[in-house]
Amino acid sequence: MARLFKNGKIARAGSAELVAVDVLVDDEGIIESIGPDMAAPADVEVTDCEGCLLVPGMFDLHVHGREPGDEHKETLASCAAAALHGGVTGLVLMPDTSPPVDSGNLVKSLQDLVSEIGSIPMLPAGCLTKGRKGQRLAGFLGMANRGVSMLTDSGSSVPCPDLLRRCMEYARDFDLLVTTFCDTATLTKAGALNEGKVSYRLGLPGIPAMSQEIAIDRNIRVAQHTGARLHLQQISTANGVKSVFCAKEAGTRVTCEVSPHHLLLTENDVIDYNTHFKLAPPLRLESDREALVAGLIDGTIDVIASNHSPHTEFEKSADFGSAPFGVTGLETTVLAIYDGLIKPGIFGWDLLIERYSKRPREIIGLEPVVIEEGAKAEFFVFDPAAETEMKREYFKTKSPVTPFLGKTLSGAIRETVVAGL
Amino acid sequence: MSELTPRKDLLDIESLSLDEIEYVLENAVPFKQLFQRSVKKVPTLRGKTVLNLFYEPSTRTSSSFEVAANRMSADVTNFTISASSVVKGESLLDTIETLQAMRSDYIVIRHQAAGVPGIVAQHTRASVLNAGDGYHAHPTQALLDAMTFREVYPDFKGRKVVIVGDVLHSRVARSTSTLFHKLGIEVAVLGPGSLIPEGRHDFMQRFRSWDEVFEWKPDAVYLLRVQMERQEGQFFPSIAEYHKMYGMHSERVQRMRELGCYLMHPGPVNRGVEITDEAMGYEKSLISTQVENGIAVRMAVLHWLKPETQHD
Repeated sequence: MARLFKNGKIARAGSAELVAVDVLVDDEGIIESIGPDMAAPADVEVTDCEGCLLVPGMFDLHVHGREPGDEHKETLASCAAAALHGGVTGLVLMPDTSPPVDSGNLVKSLQDLVSEIGSIPMLPAGCLTKGRKGQRLAGFLGMANRGVSMLTDSGSSVPCPDLLRRCMEYARDFDLLVTTFCDTATLTKAGALNEGKVSYRLGLPGIPAMSQEIAIDRNIRVAQHTGARLHLQQISTANGVKSVFCAKEAGTRVTCEVSPHHLLLTENDVIDYNTHFKLAPPLRLESDREALVAGLIDGTIDVIASNHSPHTEFEKSADFGSAPFGVTGLETTVLAIYDGLIKPGIFGWDLLIERYSKRPREIIGLEPVVIEEGAKAEFFVFDPAAETEMKREYFKTKSPVTPFLGKTLSGAIRETVVAGL
Repeated sequence: MSELTPRKDLLDIESLSLDEIEYVLENAVPFKQLFQRSVKKVPTLRGKTVLNLFYEPSTRTSSSFEVAANRMSADVTNFTISASSVVKGESLLDTIETLQAMRSDYIVIRHQAAGVPGIVAQHTRASVLNAGDGYHAHPTQALLDAMTFREVYPDFKGRKVVIVGDVLHSRVARSTSTLFHKLGIEVAVLGPGSLIPEGRHDFMQRFRSWDEVFEWKPDAVYLLRVQMERQEGQFFPSIAEYHKMYGMHSERVQRMRELGCYLMHPGPVNRGVEITDEAMGYEKSLISTQVENGIAVRMAVLHWLKPETQHD
């Protein structure tokens, strides 16, 4: 049935202005018309959006879907449900499943699974190295032919700079995006959180900032040398932002992302060994957090990506040192960013849409999602006056593990509207 | 002394108030006097059970807790679990479930992972006594160190202690320095740059040589144990070089003697590494006193903590 969204305001990239209009979506999900004070035609379901925003669907470049292999943590179906629930209408699936997605056939089978679910686009990424082992190149041609969205050993850094160089040289000819998780394993070792005052106080082995910074610098150098397109995952320190800034100044084809957690939290939030704050890379200092927010605003940081990493509550109930890294993000990112950064006036909806909807799609070659006449409906209704309690029942993910669990965040996503769903 | 809010667990030093610290340290004194008598037992914990749960081998601390519990007339069960024998797949929560079923009133726990005593404490009604977790905390060691220091220096405020050695991997250094700082005792550290973390407490100034230390005129030198199996070649080049740079030998003992400075060590001592045989015989060594005070302090802690099992 056709639907009329009345009295809402449209948020968009490129303009801080929120335009009050009505939006009529036809029964095939196409935005038929947009205008003030539209009368509801017959047979149209009217949704009152007074005080609410209509926001283009977000796109998450960094999601661990866990299927196949770890369906107890997440399935593609629960992942899609969580995404929609959080206002995310498209995402890239990391290839660190079991088996890892390192061939054209595996990309194809994942694409088939996704279309069977028939929900939002969930685009498989493929591995850079066979089995994600960091030893030899994966089969790029087969994956490229299947339209893989990017190549990454996600969650582990290609340890050998020579192999990374060969990966980039080879990927360049396919114009495939090379995405790297930046970490120096010989520095990170058994570290569990940022090395510094908090790791000292808690008596846990630390992960020094330079572990990521050295990897960022190294990967940028290799990209400069080879000319490949590079995307850096989860920048977490001020020095990392500086390195990316300099690389961009020099004309390097590099983009990077930051997680909502690193924009909002610091190592000081890691209290009482709460494993819901155990992230890779770890939460850093307040000065790093400030540099990340500044980098996001000035464009040094291209995108927000949640690094949605489901692990069950049971798995996370181990001691801090042994618990797995990572938390979920698909259902909390928009709300947490609104609560912590938009509402206090640090930046506007236009920046969030630019960094979490438009730019991530652009990086992997997709058209931006807009709320315009003739476009497919792909937006969510956001109520800034409401609040959302982050309790277990709120979540659609199979692993409601997040630093925001138990908190109340400002704003609420009333519904996500996607043509055909 | 004013009434304290009842406390169930002793997990670290940071969360203790000065009143609580005074309470334990003052109560340890009469317990220690008891050791001079022929009957060293009090009936305080008769009918109560203490579970000594050690995931890391430790004869000293485990026996010290056992003796303390025995002298309080509690029933003690010792449970040593070597890390390798922990069945893979049995999670911490499963273990806690098992412990809960044993209905102990006090659980003394040592674990190689920082934070584990805290998790156990959250899930059990027994009082949990942290006997050392990872590099995090060893609160009863800190209390016995403070008791020992205060015995020789009743005017302890403003006195100076230098902690020597592997501060990075030492829960003793963390707990003892925190407690001494709370009591108004100045704490400094000496050791190789690779073992003195940058993120350490702001109040701990760092020395680079014994000359600097002696110029500072410490009232006590606290040597840490060198974990030889872990460190050689990674954090310093050799035991010989460590001993030369940071070890305690007769020449340095002589300088301590001139200053009237005491010597402390949490044990067990590596003779010939952080301290030589002759230095062990230093007349102002407090090492045996520390062991004795350990029992008194642990009795005082058992006496102080209030398990929630009593209301069953």
